[in-house]
Amino acid sequence: MNAVIVGGGLAGTIAARTLRELRPDLRIAILGEERHPYYPRPNLIEYLAGRVPREKVFAFPEGWAARQGIEARLGAPAVRIVPGRRTVETAGGGAAPYDVLLLATGARASRPPVPGIDKKGVFVLRTLDDADELLARLGEGRRAVVLGGGLLGLEIARAVRQRGAEVEVVEIFDRLLPRQLDGAAAAILKAQMERSGVAVRLGEKTEEVLGDGQARGLRFGSGATLAAEAVIVAAGIAPETALARQAGLGVGRGVIVDDRLRTSAPGVYAAGDVAEHAGRIYGIIPAAFEQARAAAHNMLGLDKPYGGTVPSNTLKVAGLHVTSVGEVHAAGPGLESLVRSDAAAGLYKKIVLREGRLVGAIWMGTAKGAAEIGRLTALKKDVERRKEELLEENFDFGEVP
Amino acid sequence: MDKYECTACGYIYDPAAGDPDNGIPPGTSFDDLPDTWVCPECGVPKDLFVKVEG
Repeated sequence: MNAVIVGGGLAGTIAARTLRELRPDLRIAILGEERHPYYPRPNLIEYLAGRVPREKVFAFPEGWAARQGIEARLGAPAVRIVPGRRTVETAGGGAAPYDVLLLATGARASRPPVPGIDKKGVFVLRTLDDADELLARLGEGRRAVVLGGGLLGLEIARAVRQRGAEVEVVEIFDRLLPRQLDGAAAAILKAQMERSGVAVRLGEKTEEVLGDGQARGLRFGSGATLAAEAVIVAAGIAPETALARQAGLGVGRGVIVDDRLRTSAPGVYAAGDVAEHAGRIYGIIPAAFEQARAAAHNMLGLDKPYGGTVPSNTLKVAGLHVTSVGEVHAAGPGLESLVRSDAAAGLYKKIVLREGRLVGAIWMGTAKGAAEIGRLTALKKDVERRKEELLEENFDFGEVP
Repeated sequence: MDKYECTACGYIYDPAAGDPDNGIPPGTSFDDLPDTWVCPECGVPKDLFVKVEG
């Protein structure tokens, strides 16, 4: 039996590994677009920052796939899937016949529709090649600007700063991490970023990437301009669905899969950033991992349902723990919010109550109580009587039933 | 003590074995690993590990 996996990223690799564990005699081929063997994407930030040497970016020692009996065709992107003939065609005229196929093509970095966004000198950070190109550019010019004040944008900015570049983050919203934080918490984070040497520009819409052919900076809605040798875009991701569309598979925003990770074509599965399950595209590692594991089982006829992934509410940015859960932006009738904040210490805690029940929380600058407040919020616990104490440094969550 | 699996590469941390190459003695629970510990196989941080069920 032939299993073919399109995509050599996390979902494809975990699926291949799982298939091998389950079936020693299965023929497994990975068709990878990138020339490089598998690496976890978080390592790109470490590499960019200079904390990890290039050879340590990769997950496995050289020759790992071969020793696993996995045929890894690198730099061999699939160009066409022919479901009727159960074959994948690759660039350069190759073909891979399959009994079962996994689409793990992932996602690409989105570029907002700004004039000049495709100029040379405008970078994204999605692949190792992206990181190498950006580092090469930073070797020539020292000024960088990051478009996007979400988690990835902030991490890139800090990494580039650590490499010695001057860097400014530009966010269209009036605060950083707009999805996770309210204004006050975001202000503390901004101060933290500035202390680490990263400038921040908020509420500014980018109108144009300046420069003839080569990016030289940005022009904003306010008319202001900013000079930079490197423009780095961190504006989210978009599932890589072209192959699936062209093969006639059911596609929404991503490739639509059921609870067994099956697409609409017989024998064809999808997992990871490309997959849309129950209307959701996760774009997070734990979801790609669970989907890949379940898909591998189902590809072999071993029934393993996938019921969705609960995303973590916690992240770490600029050295701060940030937990954000539920209705953190809530304002309006029937809602009450309580805040305890120590800006100098980078500490900010907020709870949002509706009729005494916990419906949202931000916990920043401390890991203590973060998991507990997340759990209580998920349960919409009635905390009316103890709401003040909840925010105290030494509150014992064991006391809340 | 629970085993934990790396979601980026599939490495399994077994508390009974620890990670002696990186200064973690056998018998160290996953929770007791320092925040700075990373997957010895692929290098991602601790928060990308999940408990192995069963």
